[in-house]
Amino acid sequence: MLVRNTYNEFIKIIAKPRSYIGLGVLTALIFVILFAMKADGSSFVSFVTASFEQTLSFNGNILNGNLIAFIILQMLIVHIPLLVALVTGDLISGEAAMGTIRMLATKPISRTNIVLSKFIAGAVYTLILTLWLAFLALIVVKWMFGTGDLIVLNSSGLIILQEQDIMWRYLCSFFVAYLALLTVSSLSICLSAFAENSIGPIVSTMGIIILFTIIGSMDVTVFDSIKKFLFTTHMASWRSFFEDPVKMKDIWQSIIILVVHNIVLVAIAIIKFNKKDITS
Amino acid sequence: MRYIFFSLLIFYSLSANSQTADQIIAQLVSKINLVKDYSVKANIKADIPMIKVLPVNATIYFKQKDKFKVISKGIAILPKQGFTDVSSFLSNKNTYVAVDGGLKDLNGVQTHVVTVIPTVENSDIVLAKLWIDTKNKVILKTDLTTRGSGSVTMNYVYGTQLAFGLPDQITFTVDIKKFKMPKSISSDINNSEKAKKSKSKIGIITIKLSGYLVNKGISDEFFKKKN
Repeated sequence: MLVRNTYNEFIKIIAKPRSYIGLGVLTALIFVILFAMKADGSSFVSFVTASFEQTLSFNGNILNGNLIAFIILQMLIVHIPLLVALVTGDLISGEAAMGTIRMLATKPISRTNIVLSKFIAGAVYTLILTLWLAFLALIVVKWMFGTGDLIVLNSSGLIILQEQDIMWRYLCSFFVAYLALLTVSSLSICLSAFAENSIGPIVSTMGIIILFTIIGSMDVTVFDSIKKFLFTTHMASWRSFFEDPVKMKDIWQSIIILVVHNIVLVAIAIIKFNKKDITS
Repeated sequence: MRYIFFSLLIFYSLSANSQTADQIIAQLVSKINLVKDYSVKANIKADIPMIKVLPVNATIYFKQKDKFKVISKGIAILPKQGFTDVSSFLSNKNTYVAVDGGLKDLNGVQTHVVTVIPTVENSDIVLAKLWIDTKNKVILKTDLTTRGSGSVTMNYVYGTQLAFGLPDQITFTVDIKKFKMPKSISSDINNSEKAKKSKSKIGIITIKLSGYLVNKGISDEFFKKKN
């Protein structure tokens, strides 16, 4: 019954026009970035290497598909949560707003399974969004710009990763990025269980992400103790795969925190939905 | 009378030394001019503060007087100055004066130290100190001070192409300026590490050169083409 209901939930998602907004916007954003890189990518590269260019010269194909894929991932991972929340934030509250939640609750399926099926359907949608991003960033971009070594600028300096050492990093990064987006999906579903309208959970999800991101980026000691527990802190942990050596301990910690967030948020949604007095 | 004698003696000795330095440079330049162009396989190893990079293989192309191109599948880091600057600078003898610095032992080799000072105002090279093996007519070490890129020291090891004065290995010691990596640039906002600020350090770039193809003819167009 869970599988059949999950299938139904997924059908509902793909039947909604807003589900395609995410894919459309994602595609448009990537092509805007590609256009910008094609037109003036060299100035972006010199921005990255500027600190060193007084003394050193960087030779070779720096502006390649691997660098652009990294730029895309870095730029969009901040904005994709909005595209995810736009769909998943509506999954429970949308039913309440439309008055279909009562009919849904009368079906021979437990309320727990209803929430779980919505969570799984949301997870599949998030996966499609992530795979589409990966397809555009890793296949289309590399086809357009070619491949080569990846130059990464982080707080410890420049790291140049060799071409043959990059693909596995991207695959692992997309997995962690997916886990981060799944947390956003779970958060919006959780908030959706508390709301009776569609817009509230979507805006609340974005509000929480913005708030947590600002707290995470502030260099204030008072926030240091809570920063490591905020899921937004770990949304950027995909970058750790581009360190040398890879900080596996930090990555595992991020994965655990994101998974715990997912479990807790879905559990809260289940508890709330089970206790919900459906009056609409 | 005694002052005049000593003044003449000092003037004579200075002019004699200067002439010697000019002769050494002239011999060096004539050897440099033996090479019209070359291509060479290079293995570039960069040990630079705040940059992590594995050794890279590349092909270096050079054509007199200052055409230079590096073709590399990976990203190769080279010093901004020092690779061809000295030879092209020395080739134009009207733009500098050479001052003899005497004889010095460098790793067991007797060298003649010559300091070259540019006479033109817009020269990027401020000072070049050369340790010249006069027997083989090659530079063994160069201390290059430039306006734009600070100071660079180059140590040369010769082998197969000694006859052309082309080295088998060049070690560049580059004066790395203080680099600050702000978080906003690194976009690593969730990294708990504070943005690091490197102290003034030394970067070492070692280039092993092999498989020289000398004077085979490389067209000017080749250097204009993008990689």
